[in-house]
Amino acid sequence: MRLSHGHRDPVISAVGLSKIYVRGREQVRALDNATFDLQRGEFVAIVGPSGAGKSTLLNLVGCMDAPSSGTLKLSGQSVGELTEAERTRLRRDRIGFVFQHFGLIPTLTVAENIALPALFARRPFPERAEELLAKVGLEHRRNHRPHELSGGEMQRVAIARALMNEPLLLLADEPTGNLDSATGEVIIKLFDRLNREGLTILVVTHNPALAKAAHRQIELADGRLHQRLKTDLQSDEPLVNLQTGPA
Amino acid sequence: MTWVQLSLKEWRRRPLRTAVTTAGVAIATAALFSLLAFQRGYREGVRLELDRLGAHVLLVPKGCPYDAASMALHGASWPCYLKQRYLNEVRTVPEVATAAPVFMAALYDADSMMIVYVGAESNIMTLRASWRVTGCFPAGEDDLLVGSEIARRYAWHIGQRVRLPGLANQSGTISGVLAPTQSSEDTFIHLRLTDAQRYFNHPDELTHILVRLGDPNDLDKAVTQLRGCDAGLTMNVVPLAHVFHTIQSMVNSTRLLLGCVAAVAFLVAGAGVSNTILIAVAERRRELGMMRAIGASQFDIFRLIWLETLQTCLGGALAGITTAFFASRGVEAWVRSSLPFAPSSSLIHWEWWVVAACLGCALILGSLAGLLPASRAAAVPPMMTIRGGGGWA
Repeated sequence: MRLSHGHRDPVISAVGLSKIYVRGREQVRALDNATFDLQRGEFVAIVGPSGAGKSTLLNLVGCMDAPSSGTLKLSGQSVGELTEAERTRLRRDRIGFVFQHFGLIPTLTVAENIALPALFARRPFPERAEELLAKVGLEHRRNHRPHELSGGEMQRVAIARALMNEPLLLLADEPTGNLDSATGEVIIKLFDRLNREGLTILVVTHNPALAKAAHRQIELADGRLHQRLKTDLQSDEPLVNLQTGPA
Repeated sequence: MTWVQLSLKEWRRRPLRTAVTTAGVAIATAALFSLLAFQRGYREGVRLELDRLGAHVLLVPKGCPYDAASMALHGASWPCYLKQRYLNEVRTVPEVATAAPVFMAALYDADSMMIVYVGAESNIMTLRASWRVTGCFPAGEDDLLVGSEIARRYAWHIGQRVRLPGLANQSGTISGVLAPTQSSEDTFIHLRLTDAQRYFNHPDELTHILVRLGDPNDLDKAVTQLRGCDAGLTMNVVPLAHVFHTIQSMVNSTRLLLGCVAAVAFLVAGAGVSNTILIAVAERRRELGMMRAIGASQFDIFRLIWLETLQTCLGGALAGITTAFFASRGVEAWVRSSLPFAPSSSLIHWEWWVVAACLGCALILGSLAGLLPASRAAAVPPMMTIRGGGGWA
């Protein structure tokens, strides 16, 4: 069975995805035979304990690493066959990234940080940057530097930057991990709004509120995928249909 | 925002470290700039001074020919003299077009300013094609042709009867004023040869003879004949072209040494720049990984770091050139004190090609110094970003 939410065109289609790291003589299976789809317009949360393989999955889906086995398709395009330069273009043009530690460049202003992906894509950007500043409510912070912002503001800048090249998919790694709950709530609402506007979102989180805001949750444990049918992480109900693919 | 602007912003991150690195390049560039400007200025200065004499050969009493050339050019009291009768022998040499006898002596006025008296015949004017004289060369007894600086200092004008500074109870009439020559001649007082010999009690004696040839290609032949005549045994025959080449050769060895110092300074500065940028790359691995994650190609990262290195070197070069420009007076004073022969004109003579050469060297230095850090930065994987850790915004 594939972990899927419907039968539309999947933005991500992973089949038997595995990642093995070699440390000396030891082999660490960070991701084990994962098969799942992410449909266009979905908002999915990946949850699980530390070391479960969440970041590994995000690396693979974000075309930042190659799987040891299995296939991964992004918008129908097989990622495994792409060269490094093609994967870079794919990240640049199709994927937006939001990081737990924001990843803003301290020497650049808010507007310049947001415009950075457009520079990499060699596109004119002034109007788009202004539009995104307005979208995340930070027009008044345009010329401020990251150290002058609060954590929530920095994350909103990071989200705006992720949207600069109009991505198909937004990947977020613990986007509320460095924020207090009130500020995290603002970010969750922003994700929800972006998803309602049609953006596909895959978020790795430990935050129950963020996971609850997602359409569905995928749990990773020991490198294996499981799907929660309930979105309430506080629920005591057991996980259903835990294993996918041949274990 | 452009790539250049993005790389320029990096100067804000570690301003002190960037300044220290840039200072290394600035010192190397200042050394190179001074060396090139000196090479140009010294060569031009010596050539101009020798040309200004208007002579091909200088006949002086026995002794060091370079000291003699320096005294003839800059003015001094001479320790020994030539017999005036040698002049007749010199004029019999067929290749000699003009032989201008000179008697020179230097005195100090009440303000301790050196005044150089130059006694000469009017044929010296044929050697001084560049002179612009208001009035005329001394023709009558006690007539004076004064340099522009002397005329300005004493407020002398043509026709004025003046007391001769440094010479007690002697006076003369200004017959002409020399337009500024930007040389020592601006402080000279020219008078008739016989008057100078009389003032200084050296009748029938000369300090030197300036010889101009009909054809400069006959220099070797003329020198041989001058050395072969009776007078040639008691005087030095100094071809000024040889003086020029000898002085240049002496200075070339110093220049080579200074060139090596500048080259070593550039190598050290390049290593410093490379090392600093390598450290910066190591500190920014997560940031570079983030850039890779959001779409920067390896070439983009290479270009960014390479541009940062180039900017550091170019900034250093501009600072070095500016420093060398403003410090040129001090450098010149130091160089002048250590040279056997220094022209009175500026020794440090910069031109745009010197600036371009210094910037070019800095660009080459930056290009090479940036290769290793830029390659290391381009190899940072995008995964760096996802993995945990703080330390950035």
